Amino acid sequence: MAQILLPELGEGITSVEISDVSIKVGDNLSIDDILIVVETDKASMEIPCTEAGEVSTVHVSSGDTLSPGEPIVTLSGEASSIEKNVDVEESPVEVIQQEIIETPQTPPTSAEQSESTRESNGGSTSASPSVRRFARELGCNLTDVSGTGPKGRITKKDIENYIKMVLQQPPTQNIIQDVQATTPPKPEIDFTQWGNVSRIKLNKIKRATGERLQEAWQTIPHVTQFDKADITELDKIRKSLKALNRNKNIKVSHLPFFMKAIVKILQNMPEFNSSLSNDGKELILKTYINIGVAVDTPNGLVVPVIKDVDKKSIKQLTLELSQLSEKARLGKLLPVEMQGGCFTISSLGGVGGTYFTPIINPPEVAIMGISRMQIEPVFINKKFVPRKMLPFSLSYDHRVIDGVTAVKFTRTFAAILEDLSILS
Amino acid sequence: MENTHFELIVIGAGPGGYAAAFRAADLGKQVLLVDKFDALGGVCLNRGCIPSKALLHLAKVIDDAKSIESLGITFQDPILDIDKIRTWKESVITQLNKGIAQMAKARKISRATGMAKFLSPNSIIVTESTGDYTYTFDNCIIATGSKPAKIPTFPEDPRIISSTGALLLKDIPENLLVVGGGYIGLEMGTVYHAFGSKVTVVEFMPSLLPGADVDLVKPLQKKLTIDFNKIYLSTKVVEIIPETAGLTVHFETASGEKFIESFDKVLVSVGRKPNTENLLLEKVGISLTDRGFIPVNDKRQTSVSNIFAIGDITGDPMLAHKATHEGKVAAEVISGDKSSSFDPKAIPAVIFTDPEIAWAGPTEAELKRDGIPYVKGEFPWQASGRAIALDRTEGKTKILADPETNTIIGIGIVGANAGDLISEGMLAIEMGADAEDIGLTIHPHPSLSETIANAAEMIEGTITDLYIPKSK
Repeated sequence: MAQILLPELGEGITSVEISDVSIKVGDNLSIDDILIVVETDKASMEIPCTEAGEVSTVHVSSGDTLSPGEPIVTLSGEASSIEKNVDVEESPVEVIQQEIIETPQTPPTSAEQSESTRESNGGSTSASPSVRRFARELGCNLTDVSGTGPKGRITKKDIENYIKMVLQQPPTQNIIQDVQATTPPKPEIDFTQWGNVSRIKLNKIKRATGERLQEAWQTIPHVTQFDKADITELDKIRKSLKALNRNKNIKVSHLPFFMKAIVKILQNMPEFNSSLSNDGKELILKTYINIGVAVDTPNGLVVPVIKDVDKKSIKQLTLELSQLSEKARLGKLLPVEMQGGCFTISSLGGVGGTYFTPIINPPEVAIMGISRMQIEPVFINKKFVPRKMLPFSLSYDHRVIDGVTAVKFTRTFAAILEDLSILS
Repeated sequence: MENTHFELIVIGAGPGGYAAAFRAADLGKQVLLVDKFDALGGVCLNRGCIPSKALLHLAKVIDDAKSIESLGITFQDPILDIDKIRTWKESVITQLNKGIAQMAKARKISRATGMAKFLSPNSIIVTESTGDYTYTFDNCIIATGSKPAKIPTFPEDPRIISSTGALLLKDIPENLLVVGGGYIGLEMGTVYHAFGSKVTVVEFMPSLLPGADVDLVKPLQKKLTIDFNKIYLSTKVVEIIPETAGLTVHFETASGEKFIESFDKVLVSVGRKPNTENLLLEKVGISLTDRGFIPVNDKRQTSVSNIFAIGDITGDPMLAHKATHEGKVAAEVISGDKSSSFDPKAIPAVIFTDPEIAWAGPTEAELKRDGIPYVKGEFPWQASGRAIALDRTEGKTKILADPETNTIIGIGIVGANAGDLISEGMLAIEMGADAEDIGLTIHPHPSLSETIANAAEMIEGTITDLYIPKSK
């Protein structure tokens, strides 16, 4: 008998949601057969079988939440029918336990917290009038405080401790809590009063992305700089490379060139390859250059990260981009393939539009938005000539980067694309 | 008056208004306190709570003296000197009037006597005996209270009186009709019954004291049915015809039955109306609710941010202790204490009849109506040693609690001193106590307060003063 447990899936992943169970009791499995498909914050992935054998018990079902180290299946080499029966009978119990121990993957928002607090207090928070007044004095929402007094009553000490805890939290989190504390809960709008509606549940990726984007938008002072680059020459080079490419599955795009241009800039302007420490007092500069590329997938937006871009050739980058994008679209990205980014590129060039304001992907401090190349008349040598112009935007964290530096970035970026010889 | 600008003007010197003025003055504000009358204290002190309690005290002594006849002590029938009673009642009021005036003076609060009207969101005009005076303010607290509601179809006749007239105690009518079986009507009916009137009560609703739980009203209704001449429920007064011999009253029951009776006096106690119509609130842009109340937030602030409103004019319950609490909140907020807020978990209601009825938090009827689950611990006073010794076993104490946590959400008491006993329940509700907390608190023996601990023990199943067979 061998139990197969959910392996460690990467840094920070404490639980996953099971979106599909590919096996059933009685299946004969070999190593690397797919057991289940799970969804994390960022992607879905297949969990392969690490041992061969016959499935005697399936411990999970679709929709369960599972943590690393918990059993997925039990395999038996030579299982007797009696053992099977026993195991089958046990399984529902274990499934139930699974549900009980499930832990929420994302921290509950204050609204959710207060709801659960309210429930556990049987409809109201118990705190004496003087404690309620003390809480109002400090602007503290009693439903966020857990009481340590008799019967879970909230004491003045509890409020002091809660306030201390909040003050000790990193500043970015403070801001979020303040915003949430001061924003009154929005009433649910009944749209059916104006006509029929339907509701779609957002999947895990969408929800997680939404939370991250909201946090970034609320906590980072964003400024976006717009600029244009003449990529007429670059496009010629891309076309000649495309002609040389024999693998039709590999797309030869401008992106590797953009990445190389960004590498050059990050090397010369290290503040763009940095993160702000939580207390806002230090800038953490990185010597490695990993660049994330936002990829639109049927399940939502994901950002695979290409490592050590400075050490890779245009050809290598083209290959890797192609592989990662494909993996992303199939929902097979591993968490480790989405971590450690220094800078992100979000390209809508294939779709259209002129300029947009991308949201920074924290803990990074800048993001580039690429829009669609257009042929425009450009005044060169006393006459208008048609040139391929690329509109692009750079959003940056104004706590770290000044406007002048940002314009320097965009100008240098345009200059490199106009004359690739700068790269060498 | 040399100073015509004040940091705070309080209009109305009732229990809410003078508390607000005093609190604000103590917090350093320059305050002008305006009242229609020179005697401070408002309706509560001059024409309400206090004089009625003075008279109810006399009524209770008379009733108590009579009731111990069956225990072996017989007093002679009381001889009433109505003028002396009236003088004593007035002295109770005057003593308190003086106390308030002295405290206002000690706090250097300016005063103006006359009706106040708004001129703008920063000024009022007061019609004083020496002329009209304009005062400007930074903040204003409206605390003009309420007055007895009238029935417009009743004729104007000096024999048709309100609670104000009843408390003047001009004479003791032989036959008194009380229109309205609410707390004011029953309290005044109790007084006049003790003083020798034959009292009849007519109530439009099918029960006395609509709003109170029926089980709490029952012992009182039983006693009043004996004491009073008649209690007509589900009955209305259609017409009153004044005649020299008396007031001829036409009644009609809910089933359409009509009858006529004659009375010497009619007391109309059909509720109270907020005093908002003479303030010219439209000059400041404050609009009223459809029942004539001023809408306020939890700081008692009106839609105009420097004008606050407290007490009866902000809505039900129209009770002095609510007004006082609100007055302090408004004064503190105006004085810069942003943490002050009107957030009581309950406001106690007391009916000072004999037996008294008091409750705090939602009634059982309200919990049932709102579908809120609760558990009830009920302790009958027949099992209380003190109640038996007082020969007052008709009482009952009940505690309503959250069924999951046993946290106390409501308490109801009927019996002697219920109005004082209710305070423990109020404290329990505000502190978030549960039944166990009260049960484990040692209560003095023998006392009526023990019945609260006993009711809590009924919820906890730890009672020893009753035998409850195990359910199974």
